[in-house]
Amino acid sequence: MEKLTISLGKKALFLKYDGEVTLDVTPELKRRLEAELAAHDVEAVILDLSGVGFMDSSGIGFLVSVNTRMRSAGKACYLCRLSPKVRKTLGLVQLLTYFTVVENDEDVAALLS
Amino acid sequence: MICRTFEANSAPEQSRGLAREVVAFLGAYLSDANILHDLDIMLTEACANVARHAYRGREGRLEVRLCVTPGECVDLDIVDWGGGFDGPVRFENPSPEAEGGRGLFIISRLSDAVAVRTEGKENIVAIHKHIGRPAWKS
Repeated sequence: MEKLTISLGKKALFLKYDGEVTLDVTPELKRRLEAELAAHDVEAVILDLSGVGFMDSSGIGFLVSVNTRMRSAGKACYLCRLSPKVRKTLGLVQLLTYFTVVENDEDVAALLS
Repeated sequence: MICRTFEANSAPEQSRGLAREVVAFLGAYLSDANILHDLDIMLTEACANVARHAYRGREGRLEVRLCVTPGECVDLDIVDWGGGFDGPVRFENPSPEAEGGRGLFIISRLSDAVAVRTEGKENIVAIHKHIGRPAWKS
């Protein structure tokens, strides 16, 4: 997945995907994230959605699964830099307030440091 | 009215490609990017449902029958020849923790009417969207 960027902060795993998040990419995204979480004991996952121009319900399911996985382990999941299309799709299914959304870059940097 | 049928295999990447192809065709008639995005989401959800459920893990035929009434509306029938719909069809938004089951809810939110029916061997999701005159290319 050449459009996938994964980096590791002191306490958090940062994941950014540029492109469409639909049924044909979510299984691979899930697999890659699982592999990273198995290799690194982090307190949080930060998902940067600024480069996602299209997301369907499979993408929503991916976000929910990451959120559930982290929370059930007593850890955190943050969504940041939501693109307008992602914001619209999450709003449609009334999940904007369900996720913890980090709005500004300073807060993202603080989570990673 | 302009009608056209698009066809693909139900594999995930091909079903997404089919939705893109239909939206590209609609781009010749519609100028409003937000409405094209709504149509793209609805088509992608309906086609993904076929990819996920219709052929019980196998691949099969997927068809989109499009009718455009310029200045008025778009009708989309998404058709498969698979196992049909299991039990009652749900258009409700599932709980926030649910990882799936939002496709038909999203379609219902973005369309003016959506119906699910079986005709002979065809399973059909029929979507109707009224589109106001300013969104059309002149």
